[in-house]
Order: sequence, then structure tokens, then C-alpha cells
Amino acid sequence: MAEKEWEPKIVAFCCNWCSYGGADTAGMGRFQQPSSLRIIRVMCSGRIDPMHVFNAFLEGADAVLVTGCHLGDCHYVNGNYKAEVRYQFLEEMVKQLGLEPERLQLNWISASEGEKFANFVRDVTAKIKELGPSPLKPEGVN
Amino acid sequence: MVEVGDRLLGYATDPNVRSKGASGGLVTAVLAAALEKGLVEGVVILKRIDEYEAVPVITDDVQEVLSSGGSMHAVPVNLAKYVVGKKVAMPGKPCDVRGVIEQAKRNSVDLSNTYIVGLNCGGSMHPVLTKEMLIKMYEIDPEDVVGEEIEKGKLIFKTKSGEEKSISIDKLEEEGYGRRESCRYCDVKIPVSADLACGNWGVIGELAGNATFCEVMNEKGKLLLDTAIEAGYVEVRPADEKSISIREKVNSAMLKLGDEWKEKVFDEIPDKDRLKYYIDQFADCIDCGACKEVCPVCSCGPDSKCTMFHSLADNYKMSMYHMVRLLHLSDSCIGCGQCADVCPVDIPVTTIFRRFANPAQKNRNYMPGMDLKRPPFLEVMLK
Amino acid sequence: MKESIYQTVCPGCGIGCGLYIREDNQGAVSIDFFKSNPVNLGKLCRFGMKLPHYFSSGAFCKADEPSSMEGAIRDAAARLKGAEKVAMLSVGNTTCEEHMAFERIAKTLGSAVHTGIQAYSKLPPECHSYLEGMPFQDIEKANKIVLFIDPYVQYPLLVRRLLAAKRNNSHIISVGTKELHLADENLSITPNEYSQLGLDSNSVIITDLHPHTDANDIIQLLNLSLETGAKILTMKPFVSSEGVNRISKVKTTSKGLSQMMDEVKKGNIRTLVLLDSDPIELMPDTDETVKSLKKLDNLIVISSRKSPVNEIADVVISTEPLYRKAGTFMNTEGRIQENSGTGVTGINAMSSLNKELGSEEFEYGQLHEQVMAALTNEGQKSGYSKIKNLATAKQCTGGYVLKYLYNPFMWFNQLDDNDFVLINLNMVRSLKLKKGGQISLTSENGNIKMRYRVEGMPDGLILTARKLPIAIAGTTSVKVEGC
Repeated sequence: MAEKEWEPKIVAFCCNWCSYGGADTAGMGRFQQPSSLRIIRVMCSGRIDPMHVFNAFLEGADAVLVTGCHLGDCHYVNGNYKAEVRYQFLEEMVKQLGLEPERLQLNWISASEGEKFANFVRDVTAKIKELGPSPLKPEGVN
Repeated sequence: MVEVGDRLLGYATDPNVRSKGASGGLVTAVLAAALEKGLVEGVVILKRIDEYEAVPVITDDVQEVLSSGGSMHAVPVNLAKYVVGKKVAMPGKPCDVRGVIEQAKRNSVDLSNTYIVGLNCGGSMHPVLTKEMLIKMYEIDPEDVVGEEIEKGKLIFKTKSGEEKSISIDKLEEEGYGRRESCRYCDVKIPVSADLACGNWGVIGELAGNATFCEVMNEKGKLLLDTAIEAGYVEVRPADEKSISIREKVNSAMLKLGDEWKEKVFDEIPDKDRLKYYIDQFADCIDCGACKEVCPVCSCGPDSKCTMFHSLADNYKMSMYHMVRLLHLSDSCIGCGQCADVCPVDIPVTTIFRRFANPAQKNRNYMPGMDLKRPPFLEVMLK
Repeated sequence: MKESIYQTVCPGCGIGCGLYIREDNQGAVSIDFFKSNPVNLGKLCRFGMKLPHYFSSGAFCKADEPSSMEGAIRDAAARLKGAEKVAMLSVGNTTCEEHMAFERIAKTLGSAVHTGIQAYSKLPPECHSYLEGMPFQDIEKANKIVLFIDPYVQYPLLVRRLLAAKRNNSHIISVGTKELHLADENLSITPNEYSQLGLDSNSVIITDLHPHTDANDIIQLLNLSLETGAKILTMKPFVSSEGVNRISKVKTTSKGLSQMMDEVKKGNIRTLVLLDSDPIELMPDTDETVKSLKKLDNLIVISSRKSPVNEIADVVISTEPLYRKAGTFMNTEGRIQENSGTGVTGINAMSSLNKELGSEEFEYGQLHEQVMAALTNEGQKSGYSKIKNLATAKQCTGGYVLKYLYNPFMWFNQLDDNDFVLINLNMVRSLKLKKGGQISLTSENGNIKMRYRVEGMPDGLILTARKLPIAIAGTTSVKVEGC
């Protein structure tokens, strides 16, 4: 049997009001999207605890995307600012840990930016395919 | 009456307390006065067991406080967690004080009820290593030691027979003895976040050895000292320029040495090896949870993110426990070294935490435990 | 705001870690680190860290008032007078002095105190001294170490000694358990293949000796040691195991715990006296043990903590918690450590009991002297020759074996969050287990569904660090299914 090309597992946290809408728009607009993506919808990017990101990595995600409304557009006034503060700590930690920085990315995507969402996911997937499986992936998980 | 910002030289009026204390018994007398005059309900003291062992206890007995003086470099405990939820006064090294401030930031200590007398600290030593060092380097029987002192970069031990033997700390540390690793690169030597900052640096001339240099840091410090003076427990006089400049000089020399150690300890691990290094270091973890239990800045209690989302049943490359703690401590770790001391499998926990905390704190120009003005970062918005 | 501090030893296992117990005026207990203790530098494992729970569950039943204490002693004496088929058990879960006092009562009754370890009686007496511990520092100097235990789970404070050995370039081999991070080699070999371990007189074999140790395993290792000159370190599970086994004079006729329970079941033991030893906690099969114990005429318990046997005992003489007792412990390395506490309730109670039974009273000082004399008496080690294997029941082959990974939480029925079994990846694949799913284990005692954790392990082995109701012994053969 021919080896199938390795397909990375990418977890994207999307906020209910903007980036999830963006993902939806991407689908409706029939933009080509890789099958590597797993979307987790949260009410606000401010809900994303760094713990969720660690858990995704430890369970075998090859990359984690944190997405939300553009700064200033948060449905809950300032949730995405909070997300940004946490993200900065996370980013530094991931760097210090020695995980490739491309594996954790932040992007602000509004509900109308379907194409931006699709491009973002495609770029990340291509990059992760170059990097190969995450070193934090547990044994026995592919 | 003293004023905030005053720099003074002081000592206990009681000759017994004065001779028993490491340098004039000022700290002991101030704590005793605070208790006697009802400023606090108890005082945290180190209950001495022997030269190398003491346990922190909270006492409401003034006599017990008065008899507790004396420096103990070989007892590396952190007192911050003992004051949680109590109305007490405590003496403290800079790391004790910083721990209390961090607890206060997280609302588990009410600072208006807690009085802290800070002590200058050049570092503490591990008791068992100290005993080993005495035998190997000093050729002294550890049981014969009656006192110890750090002076001009030298560690001095006095024995029962009145002998003194000193070896330079640099030499001891080259051999792997001397101060604990976290103390070597510590960057706060004078406890400026305490209410009173005390120590023997800058005490010169006839007062050397039996007076304490004391800086009044805030209103609470003023109250503490005034109470002690009014009660007749201590006497103070203003410190002269020379004293002040010598204290500053000692401090900056110590800090410079600390920076050199920092370079040495935190050698860069190449990007590609780092993850493997951390995974390997934590692989021997036996999930005792002691590093969290002793951590003076952790205030979550037994049920916290690091424990509740960690399960023994998981077989992850790194445990959730460590991941969460690495992140949570990157803004608040004060580098006290308690976690490494109690780790049953000798993981260099403090050094690892500092590897994450150093860049995070440096980038934000932030030092945890210095004041209440800047809250913990993960919990609030920047700007 | 008054606090009491007790310098004591962790009751979790035979390593004897020093620690402080802090008691505030409301009686709340917390631990503190005893950093100058040479055994552990104040470091504690997860059991040590959870000691406040172990001690705070130590509320006493039936006899926590002085008056009822007297009553309990009189009641116990009345039951013991003229009682037949008496057996006494002390596994070493208290001070050596209390054990000594217990021995005195045994003498009065014409009975003997058993320590519950059957392996001793199955070995030639000249071997016994080879099962005594050795200084942990010698581990650090060994050039080769063979582990027959899982130190991470069973004796966690041993890990730092092994890591130190590794830093000294020692080669560490683990045999027959899960893959250990600190081991250089993880082997799954049978006793016939032990020669390939390549041991010499600079090697150390680490195993453990507890009430459910198979004497044959010990025999294999004693023979291996004889052939190669390697030293044996036998870890022991209770705080005074080393001490009481050195004190015990009846090792050659010593009854094992399961043997005793068997005799209780058959009615050959009608009266059982226990000193801080709870068969319900110690036996693998809890329900079966309770059933057997209920058949006794008299069940007399001297206990310092609340344990399940207190509930079904006829008489409970309750003493102060371990950390408040005056007394001495000897750890696995043969080091004698003393409690700072001064409580002698237990000893005085046993003294009064002895008097009621018509013999002399005694006090702490005498017992302490006697203990110190017994413990510091270095017996001559005489050589032994190759020991023949005992005939054993046929090993089940082909099926799955559920094995207990005995650890302090299991010996003392303390709750730990280890509600899973360990299996290897092959088993996950052959049973088509799903992530987050469960594995169903069936023995003659019934069926249980457990979560699982994947580890590198020999095929066919299932390890558990928690007591499971389906177990009938330390190793139980089971059928497994995915679910």
C-alpha cells in the first residue's frame, strides 16, 4: 500500500462572532481548504485559556491557531485584548520551550473575510507540512 | 519619631537581645515590640532545632520572639505562605518579602495587617551541603559550629573552642558548595519592598557587629519602628553618609556578582535541543506536587488549573501540570529556589522556571514582588 | 496562635523520610520540610505530601476517651484470658517500642507476634541477614543496578539515589515492569536468563519484601547474588518493617499475612490481636478479608488511626497518631531515627493490658533500651549455599495477568487519582481500544471497567497502582475486552 501523504492536524480556536463566521464564509465561498483543520468554536477569543492551547499540543495537534475579531470589534468590548495579552505570554513560552514558533499563530479575522481565513489556513498547513509532526505529539497518535 | 525614607543605625536596648541577635538585635526587638503593643496577633519566628535546622512557627509569646534572634544562613525556608490569612509580623529575606507581596496581589494576604521587617540577604545555603562542606573544605566537625557569618565575600564559621575559619565564597562555589544556585543569581539583595529594610551592610566602626542599618520604607515601617522606640525596646540614630555609601557599595558588588552567575547558569540551549531538554528534565517527575505546595507566589490552593487539568492517566510528553505552571510563573516567579530544594527527584525546577521567567519579565521591565502597583499580567489587560 | 511542631518519620514506606508535622490549636495538621534530614533532605513523595489527609482521617472510634480506654483494656483482657487459637500481627506500622510492648503481651499469652512476611519462613535462616537493608549511599556507588521494582510508583524517594548513581555512570537495568525513564535497559526476562545481566560484586539488585512477596522470587535473587557477588537491597513497605523484622525472633516460623487469613477463614485462628496492622487494607481482596475476619471469636485492635478494621473489631484500643508518639524507627538502610513526640498512650495501654493479663507492667524507657539493644546488635553474617526453588502453582501462560504495583496508597487504602491500569500499545491495538475509552477486566471475582494508560511494558501484563475489587491476590489472571 502506498504511503499516504502525511496530513497535519491543526486546531483553530474561532470566536463565535467573527472568525467562526470567517470560516463559514470561506466554506460558502468555496475557497479550497485543506482537510487538516479542526475548528473549536468559543464565544469569544477572551475565553481561550492558554491551557486549551497546551492541551491541543499535548493531545497531538501539529499547530494551534488562535483567532478572533479585529481589535476594537469585540462583541464583548475587550475580550480580544485579553486574548492578546495571554497570547504574548504563550508565544514567549512556546519559543522558550523550543517548539517552532510557526506552530502557534494569532490572527484577527472578521466574519466577512472568508478568503483571508482560507488563505491563512492554507499557508499554515503548507508550513507545517514542511516542519513535520509536532515533537509534543504523544506516541501512537498520528 | 522617625520619618519614611529615614536611614538609621539601631540596636536593641536589652543587652541579652543585643548580643544574641546577629547584629544588634534590632529586628528581634522590633518584632517583639509589635507583638507586645498589640500591632499584630503573632510573629513568625524560626524555631531553632540546631545550627542547620529551624522550623517557622507563629507565636504570640513575646519571650519566645526575644529568644529567637540570630542569623541562619543554612535554613533556606520561605516564610510567605505562613502569613496567609493571619495578622502577623514577620522577618524576611528579600524573597520572603517578595512572596508576601505577590500573595497580597492575589488577595490572599491583607498587607494592611501584615508587617514585614526585611533583612539584607547575600544568599542562603542548603543544610546538608553545608555540613558536607564543613567537613571537606573547612575540616571542622559540623557539631562544633556555634556561629556563622558572611563578610567581605568570605564565609566564616566559629567553633566552640573560639576558633574562626574563613574561605572565600567564590572558592566554595567553584567546588559546588556555598550558596544555593538560585541565591547566586538572585537580583534583589536589599528588601526594598518590606516595611523596614534592615541589615548589617554599612554598619562600621565601633558599632560593627552590634547594630543594624535600617531604612524606613513606608508608613507601616514608621509605625513599627516608632512603636519599638516608644516601648523602649530599641534605640536608633541617623546613619552618616559613609554608612549609606558603604551599604550601597556592598549591594552593587553583590548584584554584579549575581549578573555574572546569571550568565553562567543560563547558558543558551540551542533551539533544536530545548524541547528535548525540558521533556527529559521533567520525565522523572513523580507528581508529588511539592513544588507548588512550597511556591511562595502560588495562591490557588489545592484545586487550581495546574492540578485539576492534570491527570496521572495522561501519557503526554510533558504534563499539563508543568506546562501550566511554566506559564503561570513566567510573570510571577521570584526565583527563591524553594521548588528545587524540595523536589524529590532533583529536577532543577527553579532554573527551568527562571529560563521562562527571565525573558518574560525582562521584556516587560517588570520584577514581581516589588510593589502592589503592577498587578499580575495574565489576569489583566496591558495599558 | 500556638502551633506544635513534631519531628517525625513518614509512615508511607520503609525509606523513613524525615518531616515535620505542624499542628495548630484547632488540631489542623500540615507538613513541613525537614531539610537537614540525611535520608531525604526534607524531600517527600506524593504520599508524604498527602500525609495531612492520612492523619486527619485518624479520628478514633469506640475508645477515644480515657474512661472508655480503661474499659477497652479490661474488655480486651477479659477476651484474651483463656482465649484459644490466638494470633498476633504487627507488620511494623508503628514505633519499634510499641512493637516491643506487643511482643511482651505475646509472651504473656504464650503466643508470638507475626510480621506478616511469609518469605522468611520459607528461606534457610542463614539467609535472613542478607535481606536486611543497606545504606542508600551504596546505591549511588554501584556500577550496575538491577531493579525488580518500579521505584517511581513504589518507593519514589529511591529515584533520586538512582539518578545520582546514573550521574556516577552506573548502568541501570529494569526487569519485568514498565519501561522506566531512568533505566538504561528495560528487560523482560525469566530467572533462567538472569545470567545475561552480567552482574559482579559491584552490582546492586533492588527488590522488595512485603507480605505478598513470592518466596521463590527472593530465592532466585539470593542465588543470583551468591553466583555473582552482587549485593541485594530489599526495600520494605512499612515505617518499622526493618526494625521489627530484626527484632522478631520467630522469623523461621513466621506466618505470612495471607496464611494467617487462610487460618482465620478455616477457623484455626479464633482470636486475632492487631497492632496498627489492618488486614482489610493489606490484603489484595478486601471483601474476602472482611468475610473471614467476621468469623473470628475475638478481634482486638490497637490502632493509632482510623482504618476499616476498627469498624468490625470487638475491641479497639486507640492510641495517639504516629507523629505524637515517643519512639524509634529503623529504616531500610538500617538507620535509627527517633520521633520528637513524647506520647506513650499506646505503650501505657499495652502495659495495663499486660497487667490485667497477670503479668508485669512496663514503661517506655525499658522498652526503648531493649529496642536499641536489639537494633544495634550487629549479628554475624554467615554464608549460605544455593537454595532450591520451591514448588509453585503453575504459572498461567498465554492469558493476561493483572499485577499489583504495591505502593503506600495501596497499603493504607488512601485515595489517589490513579484510577487506571497500565497496558502496552500492542494491547491497545489488539483490543482495538479507543482514546478515552475503557478496558474491561474479568476475573473469578467479577468484572470491572477501567480507564487505561499506555506504557512500554511486557506483553500480557496489566499493572495497577490501585486496589481493584476483582483481584484475588497480588497477581490475578484476567480476561480482557475492549469497550
